[in-house]
Amino acid sequence: MTNEPRPGEVELDPTEIVAELQSALQRAAELLHALQTRVPPQPPRRTGAPGVDQIDQLKQRLDAAEADLTELSDRLVDTENQRGRLMNLYVATYQLHATLDLAEVNATIAEIARDLLGAERFVLLLREEEGDACEVALAEGVSTEDGGLYAGGRYSGGDSLVDRTLADGVLRTDGDGSSEALAVVPLRVQGAVVGAVVLLKLFDHKPALTAEDRDLLDLLAAHAASALFAAQVYSRTDRKLRTLESLVKLVR
Amino acid sequence: MVPKRVLIVDDSKLIHKMFEMMLRPYELVHALDGREGLQKLAAHTDIDLILLDINMPNMNGLEFLAEIKRNAAFAELPVIIVSTEGKEEDAERALEAGASAYITKPFRSEQVLAKIADLPTPGGASEAS
Repeated sequence: MTNEPRPGEVELDPTEIVAELQSALQRAAELLHALQTRVPPQPPRRTGAPGVDQIDQLKQRLDAAEADLTELSDRLVDTENQRGRLMNLYVATYQLHATLDLAEVNATIAEIARDLLGAERFVLLLREEEGDACEVALAEGVSTEDGGLYAGGRYSGGDSLVDRTLADGVLRTDGDGSSEALAVVPLRVQGAVVGAVVLLKLFDHKPALTAEDRDLLDLLAAHAASALFAAQVYSRTDRKLRTLESLVKLVR
Repeated sequence: MVPKRVLIVDDSKLIHKMFEMMLRPYELVHALDGREGLQKLAAHTDIDLILLDINMPNMNGLEFLAEIKRNAAFAELPVIIVSTEGKEEDAERALEAGASAYITKPFRSEQVLAKIADLPTPGGASEAS
């Protein structure tokens, strides 16, 4: 066998081959350089387990993330509570002023006491026009027929917490052994105390009044009286109007 | 479960307003007692959840519940009781009568929403959890 070229084959000069190879290598080196300048440097590959520093850093980041999560959860709960509280206040205010019908205003006060505050027994007292006694305008879970402070649908005094609130118009939620009441909410119109809502007992599944309930009691103090007052004025005016209309009809 | 139309049967207008605020995405149908609730059910056949009070005039919640369980058209409707009656036996009685869940008043909106989410979808498991 010889190195003679076969027919049709081109005979290559070894020096040309070497020159071509050198040229190809140079181009490859240039391309490699170009690639290295474009791609950001990569961190060295880990060859074994992470170092103690890295583990500490990861633990710190995990702790920080867990603290953030806890804080966010707390804030979410606070926000939910706040939303619930505001919704209760809005609904209570809306319903109190949604009507000029006295019976409906009374019913709304009862619903706030029962459904929002969880009161099982309560009374609504309204001062009589003459004297210091109060009329029991609404009683739930309290008999006004038997004896007791609210007998005959009248309250003439006798419960220290109620009497103090009726005298000074201060909302009290610090019922003690001397009083049957858990909380007494004054009803004020133009600075005058015209009555009170007296909470006597909560439902068994409602252990105590909460800070949120205090907001509702404040709302009752501010809005229940004005709603009642507006309904009473409307009722009187309406009655007078009907009387006048009847008289006019008679005259005609 | 994601209900579309919810029937609220409660004699407290305050509670109706509360549910209006709480269940804004849903269409609500209102009834002030059990008897009116039955009328509303007959008029709105596409109701898919009932929120029901127990103590109501004319027809109370348990009587209403018994009526709808007797009627094949409504027997499968989920009913969540929302009542001031907080004793364990009250809840047991309502659940035995066919209620799906029991909530005591006063309640928080998330309690109601969670109970609704826990209701099984028709022919499937609950969406919550």
